[in-house]
Amino acid sequence: MTGATLASIAGGESRKGRLLSNPKLDQWICFWSIPVFYILFGVIFVLLGRIMPPPTPTMSTENIIAFMTSPNLSLAVVLLALSLGMYALNSGLMLTQMKRMVGVSPVLRYAYIAVLGVGGLPGCLFPGYMFALGAFRPEYDPEILAMLYDLGFLCFVGSLGCFIIQYVVFTIAVFLDKRGIFPKWLGYFSIWTLVTELVATPVFITQTGPYAWDGLLSFYQGTLIWVAWQTSVTICLYQAIKNQPLEELGLPLKENEL
Amino acid sequence: MLSGDGAAIERVPDFEMADQQTQSRARFPGQPAMWFFVIGDLWIFTCYFACYAFDRGQHSAGFLQGQLTLSQGIGVFNTILLLTSSLLVAFCVQAAREGATALARRLLLLGGGCGIVFLLVKASEWYLKISTGLPEGSDSFFVYYFMLTGLHFLHVCLGLVILALVFRELKKAGPPHVAFVESGAIYWHLVDLLWIIIFALLYLLR
Repeated sequence: MTGATLASIAGGESRKGRLLSNPKLDQWICFWSIPVFYILFGVIFVLLGRIMPPPTPTMSTENIIAFMTSPNLSLAVVLLALSLGMYALNSGLMLTQMKRMVGVSPVLRYAYIAVLGVGGLPGCLFPGYMFALGAFRPEYDPEILAMLYDLGFLCFVGSLGCFIIQYVVFTIAVFLDKRGIFPKWLGYFSIWTLVTELVATPVFITQTGPYAWDGLLSFYQGTLIWVAWQTSVTICLYQAIKNQPLEELGLPLKENEL
Repeated sequence: MLSGDGAAIERVPDFEMADQQTQSRARFPGQPAMWFFVIGDLWIFTCYFACYAFDRGQHSAGFLQGQLTLSQGIGVFNTILLLTSSLLVAFCVQAAREGATALARRLLLLGGGCGIVFLLVKASEWYLKISTGLPEGSDSFFVYYFMLTGLHFLHVCLGLVILALVFRELKKAGPPHVAFVESGAIYWHLVDLLWIIIFALLYLLR
């Protein structure tokens, strides 16, 4: 949206007034929460927790204890427990834009939201809580800590099915949409992310090589493609909000639309 | 010599006109989004193939043991099926370009039929493998075997969905949307290409 249109909407008010009367303010706030969330995500999983990239499944018991009882990991889990809910803003925004699609059954967007609500549990929260136990009670038997370590990483890398459905539903919606809210290539992109989830299936039976949870295919390729996908979706989301016509937002807001 | 040059000069405008008529098709068949997908997909599969080749070098005995249990006959049969299917779909595109939609539909059905037979053969091959049991020490080979053939299986399934959409397009009255038909065919050729590499790596390279 240009500054001129904004000014005309707000009747040439001050900068603050213009900002508050921006009809897409809600969407922009949610949108800018996405980079904030992913920066936090990086701090939690990469810098503090050292959960990404994952250590090897064949790590020695001493190293597992050192990993599990690390105070930084504990701090990371607290941050995660506090901030994971922010992802809901992203999901709400996606739902808002998917609602604008034409020729797409509403079932798809409900499924998208539902599956994301479930996916965050095995994908982020469960592993976090398992890792938190190490710092919470360091005197746990090393074997128990080793089990929590395995369980945590299998949850983290092996939370496959929910995200598969997320990508399937999104791909179908993008392809069916006659309005082109999201570009078609993004639909194809989602097929790759789906494939990388499938490729990670052997994490449950392998401890070494490319299919282990720290493997080239299970983790590195999948994560690389996921990061590229998430970046693309965010850029496309920006475009979608930007291109949304103001009439669609029902301006000025009438009583019956509230 | 001189008359030869003259003939060449005369021929140029004809050639250019023909080129302009077919310009959009000749330069860029299919839709750009499909090319984006195909090239990316090839990149992803290249990673799998590279990992396979590396791991095979590390554990050649176990891999060889696993590979020896695969039937090259079934592999060759499936390869011929997909190649035939690709050819039929290519003819279908040709027919669609010329506006012969009835012929194009028939060719497409035959091509898709080959794809379905491919899936059935692949599924029975898996069934036989699992029911006879896998040889000791060949686990890492079979992870690759099921992963690569499984992903390819899904690509064939997706390809059949895309061919079905192309079929619907060809059933509509009026001239078909050629770029869409071409996109479907491009994807189907990708499926074929991936299979040829998988076939070579798993069945032939011993």
